[in-house]
Amino acid sequence: MSIDAMTEIRASFFVECEELMESLHDALAILDAGDGTDETVNVVFRAVHSIKGGAGAFGLDALVGFAHRLETVLDELRAGRLDPTPGAVRLFFQAADMLHDHIRAAQSQDAPPPTGEDVLRALEGLMQAAPQAEPEAVDFTPTGLSFDPMLPQWTTPPGTSEWTIRFRPHAGLYRSGNEALLILRALAGLGDTHTTCIVPPALALDPATAEQPQLGWIITLTGDVSEADIREIFDFVTDVCDLDISPADDAADGSATDGVAAAMASPDAIPFRLAPDSIVAAANHDDPPATSPGVGEAGLAPELQPPPAPSNAAAPAPAQPASPKAEPDAAAATIRVDLDRVDRLVNLVGELVINQAMLAQSVTEAGMAENTAVMNGLEEFMMLTRDIQDGVMMIRAQPVKPLFQRMARIVREASTGVAKQVRLRTEGDQTEVDKTVIERLSDPLTHMIRNSVDHGIETPARRLAAGKPAEGVITLSASHRAGRVLIEICDDGAGIDRARVRDIAVARGLIAADAQLTEAEVDNLLFLPGFSTASQVSALSGRGVGMDVVKRAITALGGRVAIASEPGVGTKFSISLPLTLAVLDGMVVRVADQTLVVPLSSIVETATLTPQAIRRIGRSAEVLHIRGDLVPLFDLGARLGFRQARAAGDRVVILTTQEDGGRAALIVDAIMEQRQVVIKGLSRNYGRVPGVAAATILGDGKVALILDPSDLTRSSPQTAIDAIPLAG
Amino acid sequence: MAMMVLAARLDLTAARPLTDALLAHAGSDLTVDAGRVEHLGGLAVQALLAAAQRWRDDGCALAVWPRSAAFDDALARFGLTDAVPGQGAPAWA
Repeated sequence: MSIDAMTEIRASFFVECEELMESLHDALAILDAGDGTDETVNVVFRAVHSIKGGAGAFGLDALVGFAHRLETVLDELRAGRLDPTPGAVRLFFQAADMLHDHIRAAQSQDAPPPTGEDVLRALEGLMQAAPQAEPEAVDFTPTGLSFDPMLPQWTTPPGTSEWTIRFRPHAGLYRSGNEALLILRALAGLGDTHTTCIVPPALALDPATAEQPQLGWIITLTGDVSEADIREIFDFVTDVCDLDISPADDAADGSATDGVAAAMASPDAIPFRLAPDSIVAAANHDDPPATSPGVGEAGLAPELQPPPAPSNAAAPAPAQPASPKAEPDAAAATIRVDLDRVDRLVNLVGELVINQAMLAQSVTEAGMAENTAVMNGLEEFMMLTRDIQDGVMMIRAQPVKPLFQRMARIVREASTGVAKQVRLRTEGDQTEVDKTVIERLSDPLTHMIRNSVDHGIETPARRLAAGKPAEGVITLSASHRAGRVLIEICDDGAGIDRARVRDIAVARGLIAADAQLTEAEVDNLLFLPGFSTASQVSALSGRGVGMDVVKRAITALGGRVAIASEPGVGTKFSISLPLTLAVLDGMVVRVADQTLVVPLSSIVETATLTPQAIRRIGRSAEVLHIRGDLVPLFDLGARLGFRQARAAGDRVVILTTQEDGGRAALIVDAIMEQRQVVIKGLSRNYGRVPGVAAATILGDGKVALILDPSDLTRSSPQTAIDAIPLAG
Repeated sequence: MAMMVLAARLDLTAARPLTDALLAHAGSDLTVDAGRVEHLGGLAVQALLAAAQRWRDDGCALAVWPRSAAFDDALARFGLTDAVPGQGAPAWA
């Protein structure tokens, strides 16, 4: 196997870890809600067990060690010796977070995280406090065997049960990170074993088949062991091996052997023969091949007969189906594709859309009549292109669930840090959003959640005094709305203390002391740069990152954020985001014979510019008087250096929103159309261009800049424009 | 007699390189040094068994020596304690 292939398998393991962590968190949430069943506990246990098993295969000792200790406590939970009390579940949540840290560290090949020991000790403390097995339970059988290649096995005392286990790995067993040796070791941990290797008579030394398992094993296990104990060891490989477990007595019976033989005879089965303690015998070419006349009914060499055992058993063991089990990777309904490939496809589809637009324009310019075959075909082509584009965009879409689960951790950690009781409730976590949007939403969302815990939710004492439950609730929801994604963070806290916000804003010189602000305007002060500082908030949210940075990050994603708050009831932050960053709804405008695109998300309204609407402030600055408001006015042509500011007739203004909630008006020559454009980044080749977000290619093949109105109208001095004698 | 040293970790990833390395010595007597082996996986032991058959068929000598404790322990688990020829073991010819 090449290093690349190994890297791929390792990457698959970590992807599986993420999936297992997701199911682990889901199950813990069910336990936390008090709705857990035995199966819920099993899900938690299996997730940790699987992570440990895979980690062992890759030699990730620290991860194995942590998972093992967690698994040991979970085993107590599974055996019913430990109750899933809220306190215990909270600790399990914390341990799951630490487990995630270990996985991340292993994935990035960093040193194992130092945290976690205190949580593990606390969990192990629960285990010690839990009642031990009742003394009268003389026939008590320990459950929840765990195998751990890195740690000492616990062994059972010799008993009377004797089992014969026939085991032959498929290629998928090794490919999925499992290892026959570890399984054999785990079996040895259950009791006394005698292992016999089954070696094909002609074992090829061939690189082409080097990764194709050809060995099988028959293990005789003696000990105080149930079949369930043995099966548990094979829990995660049942689909990738031939397996038969039968009491030794039954295995000695001829029919049982046939069953075993059938189970182990896949179409590509290599005839086995016993090699009891000697490869020399196994390599004896006198052995008949499986297809020789000497082969038994099931297609296996007679040497597959089990080792001598008492032969007076009555009932044969049930035979397993003869057909080979499907390998999990063959049956999987999903495939994992490198993101670069998807991005290349997205880019190609973008090119296709542009070409289709150019073709449409060419056909129109050629004077083609309506309802001709060409025009009809072109229309169908356009619809297909749109469908393909939507389909490709959906490939990049992912549910927000993992992001929301990360936020659950933030809530747990943040609430512990400030001694508050907070529960995160999530809604719509299957809502799908572009992967990049999800990635870039993580930081702002984390900060907002921390803020909600820190500032939104009151202390338990204050909540109780206000007649609320001691535990606060933060609801994080996602939904699709009007072609965008709406994410809301809603807390049931005290609401924004507007008087205090206003005082802080005045103290920091953000507003005048006598400024008349509406409630919404006061709320929006939170987003002003310089409002939040470390000295003013707790160590939790005061990390030098204000809500202004949060808003800027969301705006950079083409999103908008709004606040609604009601004293005593709570605060809601609403984030509206585009579904994808690959296309954008824009308004195509013309300025000084240049075609430009203004993102529709930033446009409030458009209007015809009249001279009466213009007010001059100072020597050069002008504002637009519109519906009682004064809005800074910018001549886009002059602002971008296309021409000197000038007066002209028949011009229009586009009213845009800024990051701080303020507005600005851009003067353009004409509005051409509203359309979806494919975004082409400029930063890789040109770096950051002030006022320009990206570019696109229009139907006529020309490049049009996509503007960043907030950046255009933010801080640099306004270019003077002449008094505009406009009318209408 | 040619000699090759086994890697410490003989897992899935090592199966093919190990096979290639063994094949490179096919047709000549070979001593395989397993003294550093920390993990001997099922596919690697399969490659060694296949080599043992091949060497025997070729009439050449193959010995696996020295062996680490981990190597011997793995052989025992695989039920192959005496399967792989050690020092002084007769060539499989």
